[in-house]
Amino acid sequence: MNKRLALLIVIVVMVFGIAGCGGSDQSQGVEPNLLEESPLEEGPDSVRVARLWSQSCALCHVSGVAGAPRSGNADDWAARLATGKPLLLKHTIEGYNNMPPLGYCMACTEADFSALIDLMAGGVTK
Amino acid sequence: MKMSRRTLLSSSVIAALYGATRPSMALASSGQTPWRNWSGALMCHPVARVSPTTEAELAEFFANSSGPVRPVGSGHSFSPLVPTDGHLVVLDQMTGLLKHDADALTATFAAGTRLGDIGNVLNNIDQAMFNLPDIDRQTLAGAASTGTHGTGIDFKSLSGYVTQLRLISPAGEQLDITPADKDLFNAARVSVGALGVITEMTLQNRSPYRLKQSSWIMKTNEALSQFDQQAANHRHFELFPLTHSDYSIALATDETDEPINNPTASPEEEAAFDDAMRGWMLVPPEQRKPLVNGLAEMIEPSSRVDVSHRILANVRNNRFNEMEYSVPISAGAECLQEVLRTIEQKRIDVVFPLEYRYVAPDDTWLSMSSGDEGHAAISIHRIATEDYRPYFDVIEPIFWKYHGRPHWGKVHSLEATELLALYPEFGRFQALREKLDPQGRMLNDHLRKLFGVNL
Repeated sequence: MNKRLALLIVIVVMVFGIAGCGGSDQSQGVEPNLLEESPLEEGPDSVRVARLWSQSCALCHVSGVAGAPRSGNADDWAARLATGKPLLLKHTIEGYNNMPPLGYCMACTEADFSALIDLMAGGVTK
Repeated sequence: MKMSRRTLLSSSVIAALYGATRPSMALASSGQTPWRNWSGALMCHPVARVSPTTEAELAEFFANSSGPVRPVGSGHSFSPLVPTDGHLVVLDQMTGLLKHDADALTATFAAGTRLGDIGNVLNNIDQAMFNLPDIDRQTLAGAASTGTHGTGIDFKSLSGYVTQLRLISPAGEQLDITPADKDLFNAARVSVGALGVITEMTLQNRSPYRLKQSSWIMKTNEALSQFDQQAANHRHFELFPLTHSDYSIALATDETDEPINNPTASPEEEAAFDDAMRGWMLVPPEQRKPLVNGLAEMIEPSSRVDVSHRILANVRNNRFNEMEYSVPISAGAECLQEVLRTIEQKRIDVVFPLEYRYVAPDDTWLSMSSGDEGHAAISIHRIATEDYRPYFDVIEPIFWKYHGRPHWGKVHSLEATELLALYPEFGRFQALREKLDPQGRMLNDHLRKLFGVNL
């Protein structure tokens, strides 16, 4: 199955609560508890990305509150994608305009942020 | 021109006018991602981040590690509670409703659950929180354990509604803490992560309800003269005094059976306010009052109705740094007036409104309203892109003059000696902290100063 399609399915399942929320069952299949920076080219698994997106990014990147580019909206992301991945990552980690540093994701590694940007922008950025 | 308190407080024009640029920081392409708080003013490079999914994992981490540990919720604290070069414990994976009691109207949530995620979940089990702080993106444990509060003379800090909690001590011991534990219970509910890592909290709730919130403009002196009466007449009453102005925005909130009517501000409303703001913000502070007063007089009364959690908490679009002190209610009005007078006399170039609220007393040892009397909480803010220190340094001594107690999560410069005089039980907290964490693993430089530890 296409990796991106699989990720979107996971997100739909999580957002609509099909997988439930809270409780210890939620921990199955997620990353080990000790976070390590992983090489960008490997990237985190889709379940982890889906969970991080729904817990943090979705707070602003669904409705577009405070000027946040909406997840999956190509028009919102076009100008940002043109600036390139390094700058988008820098803004994500340092904060930019109304977006807080780390985008409310205290658990995210640089690889996570890269994958989350790709997910929300609807395509792999450069 | 139609504008409301909501458009005023959420306007993006403030950030836009100040450029919204930050000093550039080169990003390392490898190594740990640095941690920063919400405003961006605080940063650290923890040796590693630990994100446990269970209490057993957290206990195992404590047992098998050494060195400093600090827990982090959503990073909303403006005071340096979090920065560490040791391990940062992230609670992102410990979220959600764990259990509830329909008869007692209590619900237990994992510590990393964001306040904004609690309302709908509680509604589904016919419960609702009594009160919420102004911003709901903090985690439950982070907000409660820093003494975060909402508004209302009859409403305690969030920690006052915690009926039970679980804490993993630095020794890796799991402690289920209830009111029967007396000292530990009163200490742990507001403990700024100094006693260990809280993993779950049980909240005393009530049945779901709707609120109607009304806002209007009024002269600040008039508002303060009738504040006690308004606070008694409404479930919640608060003021947002405008700087370099004679006016405040008043906000009254009461239970209602009216249908939900909570439209978002229209683009026209936002634009009208932005246009007006741009005008007087570019005028020197000493010449600003007529313009701000003129703008204030154009703000129309407004109201909205919604389920309680959608009224009590707000989305704050503009990032800022904040200082908040609470003073005894009897001194609240005088203290606020002195702050406003000082801003005007010193020509402090600040446009962010202040916030003035009452909070009920509670029995936690370290909450801002700990003890037998209610407190008036006064907040000052600075846009995140500006240096807040010159402004806060001028205002902070005014709070001290009125025996102000600092909000643990907000900027302040008090240390153990001063804090001992402000909190009757502070010495007991120090002793309990030392007992639970004799090696000082849960301390960073800021907490060592707070608790007078020389480790």
